Amino acid sequence: MAETKIEEKVEEAAKIDLFEDDDEFEEFEIGLEFEEKNEIGTDVTQEWEDDWDDDDVNDDFSVQLRKELQNDTSEEK
Amino acid sequence: MAGSYISMGEAHHRITDYLNRFSDAVSYQDVSSLKTLLSLSSNSPHLLSLADALNAHNNNYPDIVTPLFRSFQNYRIAHLVDSYVAYEKAANSFIQEFRNWESAWALEALFVVVYEIRVLAERADRELASNGKTPDKLKAAGSYLMKVFGVLAGKGPKRVGALYVTCQLFKIYFKLGTVHLCRSVIRSIETARIFDFEEFPVRDKVTYMYYTGRLEVFNENFPAADQKLSYALMHCNPRREANIRMILKYLIPVKLSIGILPENSLLVKYNLVEYSDVVLAMRRGDLRLLRNALQKHEDRFLRSGVYLVLEKLELQVYQRLVKKIYIIQKQKDPAKAHQVKLEVIVKALKWLEMDMDVDEVECIMAILIYKNLMKGYFAHKSKVVVLSKQDPFPKLNGKPVNS
Repeated sequence: MAETKIEEKVEEAAKIDLFEDDDEFEEFEIGLEFEEKNEIGTDVTQEWEDDWDDDDVNDDFSVQLRKELQNDTSEEK
Repeated sequence: MAGSYISMGEAHHRITDYLNRFSDAVSYQDVSSLKTLLSLSSNSPHLLSLADALNAHNNNYPDIVTPLFRSFQNYRIAHLVDSYVAYEKAANSFIQEFRNWESAWALEALFVVVYEIRVLAERADRELASNGKTPDKLKAAGSYLMKVFGVLAGKGPKRVGALYVTCQLFKIYFKLGTVHLCRSVIRSIETARIFDFEEFPVRDKVTYMYYTGRLEVFNENFPAADQKLSYALMHCNPRREANIRMILKYLIPVKLSIGILPENSLLVKYNLVEYSDVVLAMRRGDLRLLRNALQKHEDRFLRSGVYLVLEKLELQVYQRLVKKIYIIQKQKDPAKAHQVKLEVIVKALKWLEMDMDVDEVECIMAILIYKNLMKGYFAHKSKVVVLSKQDPFPKLNGKPVNS
């Protein structure tokens, strides 16, 4: 008996938790339409990079990686 | 017309008078007065004039207005469940009237009903839950909205309102965790030949694309998710920063999964810095950083449902790491660069605190080749990956990793 009660409580907690969803899209006011030309186009939509996978290995991480690999070969010898 | 014309003031007066008599009769235990107030068939001039007054009040829509009043009253004293039940009654009568009106003049009033019933249902459910009862009003509001959708979705001028109702339904289904119920509404919106999607209002299109984009993320259909969420982002009111942030929260993992990175300024501006380390890990080929970033924000990523998407970025990070090893080798000895010893990769991983033996690394390299993130073959005996001399690390170019 006691066990089923605990289960019920857990289930209830889960149900209440659903109300905490914070990704609900905000309402736009009914009948209020913003200027369609006032798009964010140039701002948010252009802040993406698809050509980032370059051959540059001068960043700190790569320099460190090179060092590690060199250690490796010197150990072998 | 029965009864003579009475002014509003007079009608008010008579009704108030009756109400006062009634409460007086009860509080003074005056049974003879109470009897007259109840005797319908007496045809007393008092009751007849009261009836005229009530008619003069001109309640032509008692089925809507009477429960609506009850709802207002209950709302005023914060009895939200009772308020909801009455509001739903009024809303049902309203949609029946609305169905018979030929033009769409009342569409925005219907939107108010649809919005109010959803929000009121959420609050009523909270009241039910706190009293230890099963919260079932939001589900009931969902059924009501489906009815409204049915009234709007046909041919004719009212159809333009169907997308608003759809968006409100999405909000309910996402909150209840019953997103599979979205499917039939989506089908009805997207397959209709009689109405072009572009003709719906922008605000509804943006909301619709946000929610259907999230559904595509759950289905791991990344090109479709990218298309829908990008549409939402492009058309979202720029002043609605909270909404832009919510779109980006889902769009960023989608873009990452097809090999496109957001600028750091974007993450800072919309306070999405939980993605910063993930992005940096991809740039570097830093598997340790990826793992740490996922661990650090595990709760948040799990809650929004993007954790699995981010976890799969690991393969791209492996690709980047092997590519870096290849470039470093190339700078040292271009002739031998395309032969990468598995041992070297094991060393690099060890440095990143990932303990793997040669066999495990071989397995990962096999996956990279299978997924077309790397071109080459194994020289199994000498434990070497021989990379293709042409384009050994194909870019995703906006396409998802082969599955």
